[in-house]
Amino acid sequence: MTRILLSDKLDNCVARWRKAGLTVIGPVKKETSSSYAAVEKAADFDFGIVLPDCSIKGLFFPQTEPMTGYTIKKQDIVTNDFAPPAEKRIIFGARPCDASGLAIDDPLFGWDYKDDFWFQRRNETVIVTIACTKADNFCMCTSLKLAPDSTKGSDVLLRPLQNNKGWLVEELTDRGREAFKEIADLLQDGSEQAAPLAVVPEKFNLDACVAWLKNPENFDSTFWKEISMRCIGCGSCTFLCPTCHCFDFQDEGDTYSGIRRKNWDSCSFSLFTMHTSGHNPRSTQSARWRQRIMHKFNYFPGKFSVNSCSGCGRCTRQCPVDMGITETLQAISTLKP
Amino acid sequence: MSIQEQYKKRVREILSSGAVKMVIGYQAGTTADRRRPLFIRTPEEAEKLVLDSACIANLSGYLVTEGLLSDEKSVGIFLRPDGIRSINILAAEAQLNPEQVVILGFDGNEKEVTALQGEKAKDFTAIIASIKEHAPSAPRNPQLEQIEKMSPKERFEFWQAEFSRCIKCYACRQACPMCYCRRCIVDSNQPQWVNTSSHTLGNLEWNVVRAFHLSGRCVGCGNCDRACPVNIPLRLINAKMAGEVLGAFDHFAGMSETQEPVLASFKKDDSETFIL
Repeated sequence: MTRILLSDKLDNCVARWRKAGLTVIGPVKKETSSSYAAVEKAADFDFGIVLPDCSIKGLFFPQTEPMTGYTIKKQDIVTNDFAPPAEKRIIFGARPCDASGLAIDDPLFGWDYKDDFWFQRRNETVIVTIACTKADNFCMCTSLKLAPDSTKGSDVLLRPLQNNKGWLVEELTDRGREAFKEIADLLQDGSEQAAPLAVVPEKFNLDACVAWLKNPENFDSTFWKEISMRCIGCGSCTFLCPTCHCFDFQDEGDTYSGIRRKNWDSCSFSLFTMHTSGHNPRSTQSARWRQRIMHKFNYFPGKFSVNSCSGCGRCTRQCPVDMGITETLQAISTLKP
Repeated sequence: MSIQEQYKKRVREILSSGAVKMVIGYQAGTTADRRRPLFIRTPEEAEKLVLDSACIANLSGYLVTEGLLSDEKSVGIFLRPDGIRSINILAAEAQLNPEQVVILGFDGNEKEVTALQGEKAKDFTAIIASIKEHAPSAPRNPQLEQIEKMSPKERFEFWQAEFSRCIKCYACRQACPMCYCRRCIVDSNQPQWVNTSSHTLGNLEWNVVRAFHLSGRCVGCGNCDRACPVNIPLRLINAKMAGEVLGAFDHFAGMSETQEPVLASFKKDDSETFIL
């Protein structure tokens, strides 16, 4: 016997959570675009989306966020620090790769400095993940040793029922249990079968790739130039990525008042590493692409013992020139370490 | 022989004879309907070449890659008419020498492609002139017509909603053959002319700046529109601006290598008094 949430009860659940003061967020489709966005009723969700355009990251680490502000008056200077907005949220229908991305970034945001903006949102957000029964040609979670039903980063995992009428409920954390207490009477016992999971073929041998990347001789390999020749240097792969986390500080305003903001930044941009002197240690696009791959599969795991990739495949799916991590790691798999 | 095989043969020939040092074309992509840019440097590599109706991207932007043409050697490139127009603009704006560009021209619809006769950009003048001639009567994008019917307030709200999705990844800029500046105005940070923040104002600023910079220069290849990872219909903005420039100045971007840039030239007999 397992607990089951039927789809026709979801509208009640949304109402119940909203009444309890939670903002309910989920996959939403709007004409040509899709996103994780706030909903008011169950009909607003679209669980048929394989993956929304942008990852879940922006809900925890927004593309632009005010950190501190200043106003200079005649006699004094007033500064005000912005705090992350206190908002209790439930994300219903996250994908396992997106939820995993958050867990991958947790140690980064809590490493030498605890990022309150990230952690306040993490602590106040319940993540209800739905296991994938559909994948596309770009999905690659299994190559990253994750799966269409990974629980990493999730508070509750739902498995779609074979009869398509609801989900099997697996509560994973206290935060998840707490949120589902709110709707306990809307769940029921059942013995229905879960629908088969999406089949995501393994696309490359991760261990072989990591071994090649760890060999210092390969840092200067001509491979990097060959594989990245068509890279046009936009930030699409990094901004859509559930784990890319680089940011820049920008001051906006004038002499008398202004705001300091934390904005997404990308290692794909030439400006990212440009020194004041004009020297750029990563002066070519191939050096930048190498950095992205090295960071994800060599430097980041070296520090936090986890690869900085959850296999969502957005880097390839939305790349203007059809590049991405998959092609690069597939090519590396075939090289001698 | 299929057009793809004909062109493979041609690519092998121009590489073997040394007429070009490289050919930029298309190869198979991750999925059946995707094509990737391909850089062919040896006759053997021509085998990877794919040429069919899925070859849509305008590849001309690769020609202005820093240093590519500085050895004065020629480069071959697969281009549709819009891409050839891009070459004309890049030449008119002194970004490349059109004599170094060997064009492997093609055109077609969603089903098939056909070869275009010619080698240098100037060989395609008649084709481009005929496109210009038909431009005013060409079927207009229904969405554009819908937007034109909106009130200014509705229109502003429409674009505000579209731009709210912008994440400032600059894929539109990087994919655009006309965005060749070594340092874009938004990357100039001493002083910071344009906000880098991706908030409502910043997104509006960026997209409006780009629309103006492309007025009279955009050939409507659609690279930006296809590159946008959040599907903002950028093509509509550029199509609107191209229409305005055509109507007001009879200027159709990329007619020839010597065409004057519409927003960087003037006529002494201009009816507007502020000109001179």
